[in-house]
Amino acid sequence: MNPAMWVSKTGIQAQDAKLQAIANNLANVNTVGFKRDRVLFEDLSYSVAQQPGTQVDNNRNSVSGIQLGNGTRMVGTQKLFTSGNMQTTSQALDVAIVGSGFLQVQMASGETAYTRAGQLSVNAEGRLVNAQGLPLLPEITVPAKATGITIGENGMVSATMSGTATPTELGQLTLANFINPTGLLAQGGNLYTQTAASGAPVEGNPGTDGRGTLKQGALEGSNVQVVEEMVDMIAAQRTYEMNTKVLSAADGMLQNLAQVAR
Amino acid sequence: MDALIYAAMSGANRVLQAQQVHANNLANLQTNGFRADMEVSTDQRVPGFGYDARHMTELQANAVSMRAGTAVETGRALDAAISGEGFFTVDNGQGEAYTRDGAFVMDDNGALTLNGRAVLGDGGPITLPPASRMAIAADGTISVQAQGQAQMQPVDKLKLVKPAANDLIKNEAGLLVSRSGNALPADETVKVNGAHLEGSNVSAVEEMVSTMNLSRDFEFQMKIFKAADDMAATGNRLLRD
Repeated sequence: MNPAMWVSKTGIQAQDAKLQAIANNLANVNTVGFKRDRVLFEDLSYSVAQQPGTQVDNNRNSVSGIQLGNGTRMVGTQKLFTSGNMQTTSQALDVAIVGSGFLQVQMASGETAYTRAGQLSVNAEGRLVNAQGLPLLPEITVPAKATGITIGENGMVSATMSGTATPTELGQLTLANFINPTGLLAQGGNLYTQTAASGAPVEGNPGTDGRGTLKQGALEGSNVQVVEEMVDMIAAQRTYEMNTKVLSAADGMLQNLAQVAR
Repeated sequence: MDALIYAAMSGANRVLQAQQVHANNLANLQTNGFRADMEVSTDQRVPGFGYDARHMTELQANAVSMRAGTAVETGRALDAAISGEGFFTVDNGQGEAYTRDGAFVMDDNGALTLNGRAVLGDGGPITLPPASRMAIAADGTISVQAQGQAQMQPVDKLKLVKPAANDLIKNEAGLLVSRSGNALPADETVKVNGAHLEGSNVSAVEEMVSTMNLSRDFEFQMKIFKAADDMAATGNRLLRD
């Protein structure tokens, strides 16, 4: 059979995967703390039909060979941890991380997950939780009679109690950094978990050792660039189309061949 | 049987193989840093007495196009594209391999890798310290702002090479290696664009036109098959009558 068909097939599959990543990025344009994915491709192994430099006769080597590629493959997807746009919300419990680092939350399983989405709220027990209700780590409890909550750039959470003038310190928020954030495993729900590739989290106060600072009353938007995604989508779609054209050309050739040898 | 059909067969065979080269190029239209394969056909004399008029065609496909691909800004610190000629160096297990793909990733030990292969600097594989900020400069120097430091410090330099186009050949893994098998010397004149990535250098137009051409070529060969078949059939009829 015509090998070009299978080669084109790999191209079509690759563009299919790319389109899915683009669609997911576009769907999350308004997701707070979302980081866009990009798909990376690599050419598949080559089959060497004739090695260059083989001896043709006593004093002649062939100067060229035949190497036929076998198509493309997806090497992986990468989360791009560039920063998103800052949106000022003026909500006391919204925090944006300016710079690198992740807030830590405790998942239902007890594991720690990492997130850049800082839409915090207080649950029924007074604990500081994220938008899904997962408690923040380290634990911070807000007393019922607290009025104004302040989250400092260094992560210090304080509140004024009714009846007192001086604010009381409620606890310290910390940020976790990773040597290779690209290696984090996306769990959905804006959460990431640690993997062998990401390295161990390095926890510390915001603003120290290269960690970002916290900004109260702001949120970090998605880092998806709509125009870029649209351009990528057009490119992926056309590439898909061209690969199908080669597929049908290969089909046409086989059809020709079959007609000759009736 | 008339030898005509064998000459046509070598033509049809070449078209099938050439089609694979172009299909592969098109499949890699979105592969970062991919270099298009080029394909030419040569005539091959059939050795032996009495075959002087016979020339078969043969495919040659082991050269790569060195045209530059489009560089796109990505904003990611560890992405790099080469402007003009030149290549990055990675370790492919058996020696140095060269690539234009600059989507570097750090592994958990801080080693700089490209699709799982170690990226080589002037002094071997590059390892970066834990850092809050990183940048790749125009000469390939990687600077980092290590944790607790106020300044960017240069830590290593990418090994950049600039071989002539015919000194490189693609290996079975699709990486470019030197034709002689020896490691190439680093070149100071190669310019790097940090936070950019270079796309594939495949020209979709050229590949589509080649595909159309090859399809038609194949059709011609099939016509010759048919002609050879008809001629043989006519000969057979002569004997019958």
